[in-house]
Amino acid sequence: MSEIPVLHGSTKKERYESLVAAFYQDLFRYAIWLCKNHALAEDLVQETFLRAWRSLDSLLNDKAAKAWLFTILRRENARLYERYRPELVDIDGQSIAESDETEPDFKMDHELLINAIKRLETDYREPLLLQVVGGFSGKEIAEILELNNNTVMTRLFRARAKLKIEFGLDPEETDEN
Amino acid sequence: MNETDFRKRIYTNPSEPDSDLLEAARGNPELSKILNETQALDQHIHSVMSNIAVPTDLQTKLLAIPNSADSDQDESLALQILADKPAANANYFQYFAIAASLVLAFGIGFSLTFGPEANPTSAELAFGNEVLQHMYHEEAEIAAINSGEVMPTVDMPMIRNAMAPVGTQLTSSSSDIAASVKFAKPCIIIPAYNSAHLIVQGSQGAVSLVLINNSPVSVEYSVNDERFSGIVIPMDKGNMILVGERDTDFAEYKKLFSENVDWII
Repeated sequence: MSEIPVLHGSTKKERYESLVAAFYQDLFRYAIWLCKNHALAEDLVQETFLRAWRSLDSLLNDKAAKAWLFTILRRENARLYERYRPELVDIDGQSIAESDETEPDFKMDHELLINAIKRLETDYREPLLLQVVGGFSGKEIAEILELNNNTVMTRLFRARAKLKIEFGLDPEETDEN
Repeated sequence: MNETDFRKRIYTNPSEPDSDLLEAARGNPELSKILNETQALDQHIHSVMSNIAVPTDLQTKLLAIPNSADSDQDESLALQILADKPAANANYFQYFAIAASLVLAFGIGFSLTFGPEANPTSAELAFGNEVLQHMYHEEAEIAAINSGEVMPTVDMPMIRNAMAPVGTQLTSSSSDIAASVKFAKPCIIIPAYNSAHLIVQGSQGAVSLVLINNSPVSVEYSVNDERFSGIVIPMDKGNMILVGERDTDFAEYKKLFSENVDWII
């Protein structure tokens, strides 16, 4: 189960502000993988919260707020950008902020990992990032991606198997049947 | 539990393994290694994602949405307000009136460099003609703009989407241009290179701004056919081509777009 948002306040605006504070960073970081461009990701998050504001009264269960926002984000991405999605991916050294952990081999690991994630097919990358970054359960991912739970589990398995093969952690691909 | 079954279950959710998986790993070094490696991989992914820089002003923009969205139910207008753009009905004629005033006030003159001294190669001339030919693919949109038809709204995300494949963007101060764009689409005009085609409504009719990320031409030059005229302008990392109806004066457009198009790649 993903983290439970705390929607402070009783007015619509206060609820909205709690949503922004709790989730805008995760949404942006997911958006940048969806639309593959920093500026487009920012626009996409703004469109998402614009729709969220207008539909906030329809969000009856605050515990579902995060999955609701990610669903809006994916639909907005499909509506606005998927048709003309640029091929470039600007998730690179400029997008990754320096952290306290940036010792040379650690940073190299990150760059290799980013490239490995880029190479994953979208079908595998999306559920993996929703789980690791969004903290969503398999059931929630299935709802967001409009898939059945078994398909999500299979894709999560294959995503990690592919990454581990890339890093030499698995000897060969293990098929999950 | 064999290794294959263990992998199947661990790989689907390594952060919250069931107790029987933990128990199996405790008594088996191989399974324990798989568990640790998979959890470490997830930690790395989480770390990579957490380090993606989020724009510092994004939260402020998002918190401003209720104010702007409630003042106008039009979504594109709300987005424009978010991006600190002027009202959507700011029109191109007003912009050029201001630009013309500035020119007069500061005594700035413009001249195009094409003419007898310009000497484009035959390949460059052929390239310019290819761009002119492309205009006929969008003839319906050009005719609609020329006739003053109300066109579907083109918002900033659509403009960015059209320009991004070429590696270009409008500068942050170019909101007047964005408000006047009537058409924006990524195109393939010459093989293997990305192009962006934007059309604005100018005082002499529709003016196309075409950006292509091929090698800059050696010299600025003009191209014409029986319907359109245009100029091909080399830029830092590609070419900018302006095309309008015959006899369109491109001087101000050239200055406007040269100053407001950034090549970011």
